[in-house]
Amino acid sequence: MNDLTDASIQALQLLLSGDAEVWNIISVSFTVSLKAILIATVPAIAMAFVLAYYAFPGRRFVITLFNTALAIPAVVVGLTLYLLLSRSGPFGDLHLLFTQEAMIIGQIILAFPLLVAMSHASLQSSDQRAWETAITLGASAFVAAVTVIREVRFGLMAAIIAAFGRIIAEVGSSMMVGGNILNYTRNIPTAIALETSKGSFVEGIALGMVLLTLALLLNFFLTAIQGKAEVIHQ
Amino acid sequence: MTSLIKKASLSLNRVCFKRGIRTILDNVDFSVSQGELVLMTGQNGSGKSTLLKITAGLLKPQQAQVRFVPHDGQQGSYPWPRLKKLLRRKVCYLHQHPYLFHGSVYDNVAYGLKRQKMSKQEIEQRVVQALQEYSLESLIHRDCHELSGGEKQRVAIVRSWITRPEIILLDEPFSNMDKESRKKSYALIKQMCQQDIAIVLTSHDPLIGELSFDQHIHLYQGKMTHKSV
Ligand SMILES: Nc1ncnc2c1ncn2[C@@H]1O[C@H](COP(=O)(O)OP(=O)(O)OP(=O)(O)O)[C@@H](O)[C@H]1O
Ligand SMILES: [Mg+2]
Repeated sequence: MNDLTDASIQALQLLLSGDAEVWNIISVSFTVSLKAILIATVPAIAMAFVLAYYAFPGRRFVITLFNTALAIPAVVVGLTLYLLLSRSGPFGDLHLLFTQEAMIIGQIILAFPLLVAMSHASLQSSDQRAWETAITLGASAFVAAVTVIREVRFGLMAAIIAAFGRIIAEVGSSMMVGGNILNYTRNIPTAIALETSKGSFVEGIALGMVLLTLALLLNFFLTAIQGKAEVIHQ
Repeated sequence: MTSLIKKASLSLNRVCFKRGIRTILDNVDFSVSQGELVLMTGQNGSGKSTLLKITAGLLKPQQAQVRFVPHDGQQGSYPWPRLKKLLRRKVCYLHQHPYLFHGSVYDNVAYGLKRQKMSKQEIEQRVVQALQEYSLESLIHRDCHELSGGEKQRVAIVRSWITRPEIILLDEPFSNMDKESRKKSYALIKQMCQQDIAIVLTSHDPLIGELSFDQHIHLYQGKMTHKSV
């Protein structure tokens, strides 16, 4: 128990001292995951809108596919991507294996189904009158879609935060296709895995603290933006 | 009376609408001309809202023939995509329980104008003026979710009116309004008709005497009957 307390204090000191290695790892994590979420969000929400508002054959099947994709473990995504990107794989010529780009691709694949499923749920339960009102007031189909999306923005924000939480903490895919290269593809989760396997816990705890703080901040943010929503029991 | 000769009109003929095996509308004919005021009555569930939504191009009927004068002389059975485009451009529907977008009264009333190419100043000027004419200017910066039921209905009416459609369909517009608001609404409706906007409104309250209707149509078991006014 004492060990853990000591290690935690040391971890805090490590963070506060501005240790270059640790902060570089943190920055890799954020760069990769922010890029992945930025790329994934718009197409995922567009997809969710189409699934919620347009009838086409196979719609239910596509929804089921995305819900199933939620359950795919990060290592499986990593493995598949590894096979595709490795030198002998179909995309080997792109030389993407063990790069940040490969990590971003992996994280997009992990974030996408979660974004679609959660956005779909909130668009599905959105008020149909919002869409009808937009259309009858002269909005084009595209503007009406944007209007509906704005109306359910809290739900969509929750989806984006959940997806970001998933990818910034995933270790399986980043480890396999990133390769855990220091100052390049070593991010928070892969660094924690490595340090722990070496038996040096301080850096691992320090990075774990960063993840926890991030989760806390994101949830405070989410609560704050929803703060205006009605409270039923005052 | 030259105005009688070239009046614009919209007729929907042989409208059929089914939900599953239930027939909601059975060969309904209905037409409305520029500046007309039409009252639509019928029991709960008789299909009033359904017919209005079809007229606004928001709900696809199983069958309908539509004719616009003077837009096109001929009776058209256009394919639905084309028809709905035409209807949506000319007709504005207001829900029985109006939906107001998140944001202020100003944002809501300005919504339709922003869809038309119009400068910011012009939008602002029109919104303020429209709200003033309907004695709602004090609400302009209020958040729509704080408004009372009657206030919401009135804001929604201005929001439809300001886009200047040819036809406005008001589904139970007065249900939450007090005497004072109703009086102002009757005046606004008369004004809209004078601006050559056709108004179709549904109501369960007797409105005879308050407004003078050009037509009174009644829906009963999917069929439409015309009543004298
Ligand atoms: N989304 C829907 N799904 C299934 N049935 C519906 C739906 N909307 C309406 N209906 C049915 O269609 C019929 C006509 O409904 P509509 O809303 O047009 O009636 P209404 O005349 O406007 O009634 P009210 O006076 O209560 O407003 C009703 O029997 C209703 O149950
Ligand atoms: Mg109704």
